[in-house]
Formats: sequence, C-alpha cells, structure tokens
Amino acid sequence: MSYFFQLLVSGIVVGSVYALAALGFVLIYKASRVINFAHGHFIAIGAFTAYALSTSLGLSVWIAAVLALAFTAIVGYFTERIFLKPLVGQPIISVIMVTIGLASVFGGLIHMTPYGSGNFSLPGFLPEGGVNFAGISVSYPQLLAVVFTGVFLAAFGWFFQRSTVGIAMRAVADDQMASMSLGVSVEKVFALAWAAAGITAAAAGLIVGAISGLNLEGLVGIGLKVFPVVILGGLDSIPGAVVGGIIIGILENMAAGYLDAYIPGGGTGDVFPFLVLLLVLWFKPHGLFGTEEIERV
Amino acid sequence: MRNPWTRTGNYKTSYAQDTTIFATYSEQASLAVFLIGMLVLPRFLVRGDMQILDLILIYALAVLGLNIITGYAGLINIGHAAFMGVGAYTAALVAPHLPFWAVLPVSGLVAAAAGAVVGIPALRIKHLYLAIATLAFQLIFEWAVGHSPALEQGGAMAMPRGMVFFGYKIAFKNHHYFWYYVSFTVLVLMAFGFRNLLRTRFGRSLVAVRDNDRAADAMGMDPGKTKVFAFALGAFYAGVAGALYAYWSRAVVIEDYSLMISIKFLAMAIVGGLGTLVGSFLGPAFLELLDINMETFSYAIKEIYNPPGVDVGSAIRPLAFGLAIVLFLIFEPRGLANWWRLLRSYFRNWPFKY
Repeated sequence: MSYFFQLLVSGIVVGSVYALAALGFVLIYKASRVINFAHGHFIAIGAFTAYALSTSLGLSVWIAAVLALAFTAIVGYFTERIFLKPLVGQPIISVIMVTIGLASVFGGLIHMTPYGSGNFSLPGFLPEGGVNFAGISVSYPQLLAVVFTGVFLAAFGWFFQRSTVGIAMRAVADDQMASMSLGVSVEKVFALAWAAAGITAAAAGLIVGAISGLNLEGLVGIGLKVFPVVILGGLDSIPGAVVGGIIIGILENMAAGYLDAYIPGGGTGDVFPFLVLLLVLWFKPHGLFGTEEIERV
Repeated sequence: MRNPWTRTGNYKTSYAQDTTIFATYSEQASLAVFLIGMLVLPRFLVRGDMQILDLILIYALAVLGLNIITGYAGLINIGHAAFMGVGAYTAALVAPHLPFWAVLPVSGLVAAAAGAVVGIPALRIKHLYLAIATLAFQLIFEWAVGHSPALEQGGAMAMPRGMVFFGYKIAFKNHHYFWYYVSFTVLVLMAFGFRNLLRTRFGRSLVAVRDNDRAADAMGMDPGKTKVFAFALGAFYAGVAGALYAYWSRAVVIEDYSLMISIKFLAMAIVGGLGTLVGSFLGPAFLELLDINMETFSYAIKEIYNPPGVDVGSAIRPLAFGLAIVLFLIFEPRGLANWWRLLRSYFRNWPFKY
C-alpha cells in the first residue's frame, strides 16, 4: 500500500508541473484560440535562463528565477506581436504551423547556446532530505514544487477574479466583439495572454529544475505532455488544466509503477497519457470542464 | 477561331471541356518535356545527387497524400510520418515473400487501413481536436514500434538486397538509379490520381466538406464517411511512399518516421502550397535542398562562431527550417505554387502586363 501512496505522491508532484505548463497553454487558447506547439520551448527558455543567470553571473537562485520569469514573459509577448498577430483571421492550419515553426526556431536558438545538449541542474538551494510520513518519503524540493504550484495558481486565480487586466482577459475569452465595444483592447489582451503563458511556462521549467535535472529534450517533452492534460481537463478551462494536470501526473506514475514490469523495455509512463488522450477524444471530446461546442446551421 | 496552343479566351461549350485536364496543347507539350527531362536527368547526375533526388521524389509522394488529407479535406494531420512508417514496416515484413511491385500496393493498403482507424475520431471531433488525435497516434505509433521485438524495437530492419528485375541486377552502384525510375513512375501515376481526384464525385465532396461540412451534409454528402475516406486515401499514398523509402534506404528505422518527419511533411505541404499538385513537388525540393545547403553553411558559421559545447550544425538546420515555415506563412501563405502560377502567367501574357 505504501508503494501505491509513494506513486501517488510523486504523481502529484509531476502533475503540478503539468498543471502549471497546461495553465499557460490554456490561457493562450482561451484568449486567442491558438494551440501553442512551442510551449515546451518556452519552458526550456525559462529554465535555462534561470540556470545561465545563476551559474555564469553568480546571482542567487531566487533572483535568477524572477528574472527568468520576466524574460520568458517578454519572449512570449514579442512572439505574439511579431509572429501571431499577422496571422489573425488565417485558417487554423496556418496558426498551428507557425507555432510549430517557432518551436523549431527556438530549438535552433537554444542549440546555439551550450544548453542544447547535456544535463544541467540548478545549484542546490534547498536542504537535502525530506519528510517521512508512514513510509512515504517526500523530498523538500518536491514539497516546494507542490507548494509553489499552489501559490502560483492562487496568484493567478486572484489575478483573473479581481484585477482589471484579468477581468478584461476573461471578457475577451468570452466574447471578443462585446469586449471590444466596451473598450477592452483585444490586441493587448492577446499579447498579455502570451506573456502570462510565458510566466507559467518558465515557472514549470524552474520547478523541473528544482526537483530533477534540466535537459532540453525533457523540457520540450513536457510541452507535448500538455496535450493530454488539456484535452482531459478541457481545452478552454483553467480549473480543467489544474485537475487534468494532476490526474495525468498520477496516471503516468501509476502506469509506470505497475505496468512497466509487464512490458519489454518499460517506458509506459511516456505513452499512457496519450492513450488517455485518445480515449477522452473518443468518448468525451471536450474533456471534464471544457465548453461543449454546439453547432447550428 | 480558337487557338489550341494557348488560352486566348473562354471557348468552353460543354461540361466535358470545363473539366478537361489539359486546356491547351502547350500544357500537354510542357508535361511531355518535363517527363522526358526527368527520365534523362539521371544521365547527368552523380550518385550523391541521385540520393537527394530520390529522397525528394519519395517525400513528394508522401506530401501528395498529406495534401489530400490536409489540403483537400482540411483535416490537420500531425501523424503522416506514422502512416508512412506503417507502410515501411509492412514492406519490411512482406518484402522477403513478395516481389517489390506487389509490396508497394500491399503496404499502401495496410497504411490505408491504419489511416481509416485514425480517421474514425473525425466522425465526432474536428479541427484542433482532430489534429491532437493524429499527434497522439504518431506518438503511440513510435512507442509501439519501439517496444515491439518483432520490429527490432525501432532499430534497423534490413530490406532484401541484390534483387533482380527483368534480368537487371540491382546492386550498390545502380541502386539509386533504379529506385529513381521506380519512384518516378509510381509518383507520376499517383500524381495523375491526385490531379483527377477533384474531377470525381468523391474529390469534390472532400472540398465541400472542408469548406463547410454542415452545408455538405445538407446537400446529401456524408461528412464523416468522407473524412474517414480522406484519411484512408492519404494514408495509402504515405504507405506506398513508406515502402519505397524502405527499399531506397535499404532498412527501416523508426527515426525516419518520427514526429519530426511528420512536421516536415506539414511544412513541405505549406511551403509548397496546400492542396496543389505542383506544390507537392516544390515543397519537398525546397526544404530538402535548404537542409542540405544549411549543412554546408554551418561550416562557414563555425569559422566565426564555434564555442565549446555547441554543435552549430545541429542548431542551424532547425533554425532555418523553422524560419522557412514562419516566413512563408507570414509573407506567402499560398506557398511556392503561387510563385509558379505568377511565373507562368507572366510568360503567358508577355509582352503585356496582364
């Protein structure tokens, strides 16, 4: 039984990373109906910026983290301004392909730096060891990851419920025409959504850096795992991103923990989320909390 | 009097004339010149060039399939390389037992079956959701191959060597030349199929479903069935391309059918011009030549910028590839096919501007 709970706990930790990553993804989709295939690269940009600042400039990890969040937000903002804005009103395939192209460009740029290949780990800033509770061990970084995710989500929740900008963003997601006529700058909201997505992506990257090592492929892989998460939770639902993230994290760990033994080569955790994705698409395409699209002639 | 060599006006008096493939003799003549040119081209090329040319032809075949799914039917497919992979692995499994001209259609049909299965969710979901479903199929395919001992877990599965075709032995030296002619013949046949698709009832219903599936439904077409058939047909093209690729590369390796390649196909279709025949040739040619030139270009960059721990070669290629996609989408969304069209109309109207 303690094996089960151990898997559950590590699933929640992984799931909180997915939840954060998915949050940014959903923000972009909600505001501008764009599926961002470069999300994994935003995660990588955030994580490696923090790593570069803390190792080469010798900044403390916390300052480096804040600067990385800001930098990724700027990257997100200008990505929207430069590359996505000219494509407003174009068919979906163009918008999808431009994010795929951007993913390739970002990948190339990261490969231009020494961080393209190899493993890196953020300098330790937390005490070793962890909490032991009834045979289940949780390390401090893991604990921090969950707490940090919780705080981050609460901050975003406050931002969307209370702040003017957040309310404007929700209004645009709801009805662009109506919010435009009430004086909300839809263009600005699109760019802000990308900036906010950059922040959450960087936060996810930082957490990965805290609980395990950084490597480009792994970080970009999180960008792919976001798809099962958002489909399960509902593409346009922020609570869905959080719930979906944690469920997928748990399922992935459970699958790896219980099924790997029966499969030559293992690695069940990598594919299981996508099987879930297909099942959800077959039986409940709009996910747990997504808005059902009703079509009328 | 109508001049049969050039288009001087609209002289069409029947539907048969309206749906004809060749409007003028000069179109037939230019096609004949193109075909003869492609047939004698290998005489002037060395083995290394042939390799690139073969790759472009095989990719063009796969992109034709993608253009049926994504260009005609408007279903975004991020799993096209997986269809090609299904064809290639089928070829690897049946090649020892069948002659190669029988392996190609068998691989195509197996891939078509896979395509139909992947297309089933299209009965219910569309647009982005469908794109994500094909992405999932791609990843599940890669994982499944990587865990199948029967498929060497994604490692190299050798194809038969030393084949004899009508007394013509295919060995190391003439390998690329032989498969050039095979690929080219298959490509021409299937390109004719592609070109004729829009003249059929099924082809036109594809476009109708793409433009407005509810209106198509109201007019008596079955959007779900049409979409599933579109997937099957496009996957058939990919499967044949996969079998050719397997023979041409002499082995089947999972890396040749990965997500990166699927993305490459989409990029080729976009850069060439979605849903166009000429774009299906120009797109693969452009991106493959770009890739090769970037490899040479990276040596020049290394002279200036080559810090430790950085592999400029592996950085510059995705960078150029991504920039090509982004710039084409922003500045020329209709792709190279549009340049081709402008070029042709320039010469047709010369010396007048329009």
